Amino acid sequence: MENPTIQVTVATRRPVPGASEAAPVPGERTAPTITPPIDIHEGPDGLILEADLPGATEQNLRVELEENVLSLHARMEPPLPEGARLLHEEYRLGDYQRSFILGDEVDRDRITAELTHGVLRLTLPRADRGRTRRIEIRS
Amino acid sequence: MSGMPWDRGWDPFRELQREVGRLIGSIDPFPVGRRVAVYPPMNFYDAGDRYLLTAQLPGMTSDQIELTISGETLTLRGERKRAEGIGDECYRRQERPMGRWSRTVTLPDRVDNDQVSASFAGGILTIALPKAEAARPRHIAVTNGAGIEPNGGRGA
Repeated sequence: MENPTIQVTVATRRPVPGASEAAPVPGERTAPTITPPIDIHEGPDGLILEADLPGATEQNLRVELEENVLSLHARMEPPLPEGARLLHEEYRLGDYQRSFILGDEVDRDRITAELTHGVLRLTLPRADRGRTRRIEIRS
Repeated sequence: MSGMPWDRGWDPFRELQREVGRLIGSIDPFPVGRRVAVYPPMNFYDAGDRYLLTAQLPGMTSDQIELTISGETLTLRGERKRAEGIGDECYRRQERPMGRWSRTVTLPDRVDNDQVSASFAGGILTIALPKAEAARPRHIAVTNGAGIEPNGGRGA
């Protein structure tokens, strides 16, 4: 395979604005789910995925890979003093959630994540499988 | 009587919505479906002795955000740049808003301008606007005194 293209399929199940939020799990709180905006670009060694997660911290952010689904989830607590009363709202406080389907060309063992100034940067290196490997033949 | 005249009286965003807040020279249009017309999105809270104005500015650093107060006008501006050296053809997806932005908020005269402070953490800017002395909730002691006769018709 020459220069394989890494595929990240972006799940398109976005919450519909104004529609009811994701079904609450019994026993869990019902914070709204926010779909963070992302950029994906191709670098020399693989894909870089960046997601805007303002307010997320390393403590409340989870990035998980299950089978071929990479998901990010940040459980947000309002960073406000107790008793602060909302007077005007342009963004909602809620939990960030988004999932991606990885193609086979991503080296899943070398995925790295970094959170800086509310931006998550995921590096998805290209798997080496595409490279020619010389196999010694023993006689 | 919770109908403080100012539960509805002052709204700095009414002015913003008219024309001031907008993304200037955006490289990318906002993704379809995101109803954000202004950038950065802001929330506004009453926290007792002060107001809190928060703005979502992921990817910025504090030295990239210019915050000025002049009279009753608070202005926020900056530029969010894409990483350099990455051609457009490399992008598979661009949803994040980028570009120069600016917002202006009119402060109420109830804010003590000299005491305004701001902090930036994790992509969220928080501006604390202390209420001027006269606007703070005050506790007024009720004392026993030579009473005025209760007026008939006014209960309690």
